[in-house]
Amino acid sequence: VTVVVVGGSLAGVTAADAVRRGGYDGPVTVIGAEPAYARPPLSKGVLTGSESLESVRLPALPSDVTVRAGVAAGLDLTTSRVTLADGEQLPYETLVIATGSRARTIADPGRENVLRTLDDATALRVKVDSARSVLVVGGGFLGMEVASSARALAKSVTVVDIRTPLLTTMGPFLAELFTEAARDHGVHVVIAPGGVRPVFDGDRVAGVDTAEAGRLEADVVVTAVGDEPAVDWLGPSGLPLRGGVVVDEHCRAAENVYAIGDVAVFPTPWGLRRMPHWDTAIGQARAAADALLRGASATPYRPEPYFWTEAFGLAAKLAGHLPVAGRPTVLRGSLADRSVLLHWPDSQRPAAASINVKFPVPKLRKLATAVPA
Amino acid sequence: MRIEVDRERCDGFGFCAEAAPELIRLDDEGEPEILADAVPAELAGKAEAAARACPVAALRVVAL
Repeated sequence: VTVVVVGGSLAGVTAADAVRRGGYDGPVTVIGAEPAYARPPLSKGVLTGSESLESVRLPALPSDVTVRAGVAAGLDLTTSRVTLADGEQLPYETLVIATGSRARTIADPGRENVLRTLDDATALRVKVDSARSVLVVGGGFLGMEVASSARALAKSVTVVDIRTPLLTTMGPFLAELFTEAARDHGVHVVIAPGGVRPVFDGDRVAGVDTAEAGRLEADVVVTAVGDEPAVDWLGPSGLPLRGGVVVDEHCRAAENVYAIGDVAVFPTPWGLRRMPHWDTAIGQARAAADALLRGASATPYRPEPYFWTEAFGLAAKLAGHLPVAGRPTVLRGSLADRSVLLHWPDSQRPAAASINVKFPVPKLRKLATAVPA
Repeated sequence: MRIEVDRERCDGFGFCAEAAPELIRLDDEGEPEILADAVPAELAGKAEAAARACPVAALRVVAL
């Protein structure tokens, strides 16, 4: 009669805690590959060295939750057992899958620098520190934050992507704003619609070839081309996998099996989506815990997307379904000052962004709430 | 116990107030305002959850 949570990062620890505080008094075990820490600072303060490693650790779970180091290697739904990499079998009554995701790569894994884990960040920190130039492959949130941190360390920085950085994540208006800020900060932004091909020095990626800008090389090359769900251990389990573990609105993947956080593919109003964000990890963890405790009367997870990023002097919080289309209304401040509150008052897909202005997040979320016609 | 906010670290993400509305409220600028000097024993778990929800680890729950 045990709740087993596989994955000890934000989603996993939040679920374990919510199950316990929700009144479940049976055993709760969290299996984590590494101690729980916050990833958002990794590409910022940890990379620049302004943050200590201790400062990113998440507070410990209550003592009546068992936390064990381990990696899951297999799942048997018929016998309700998780097999760990060391061969141990763990029976569960209810299973919560929160194994997250790992960095996508452009070559075979292990040949390039990525930034996903605390170990990645500390290793990259050392390399960037002694480098003169940094090439970032991929201009999403992570890539732009890495580029910004490298610039803060006075490195010569190039970002290459197949389209304008942040275009697919934020939409054209904000993508342009951030890309302009990157250029203002001295970043060389290369747009290579034909894509990139890795260039090797020995077995390490030392640069990329592009059709548009030729060969790009740097002392340190960082790949930031997104993440992919950690589902390899679930391959033969029979769970519905479609770019992640497919769940329902209670984060249920099968009877007594839930999946939450970066690994979960959730039914949103915009279709089945993986939503690898802090806000989603917490919301889905609470929804799964609620479903586990209250069954049919539980509250389903309703995504109200909320993200943030900080790069090139722009600290932005965004609420609403991204990417955002069209031009926003300025509610406060000014774009010229790069200190502004923006609103896209679309009745179907509203969004709001605060950039370098202090504005309460609940109000930002409210601006991004669709008004039923 | 009580909740401490590191104002230098805090970026007003608001997750703490969502996790523990009985203990933390956001002010007009979105900054967390601690509502009780001492956390009542029955809300200790919520205080810890609020600290865990902070993406920049700006909250600490410390013994009085």
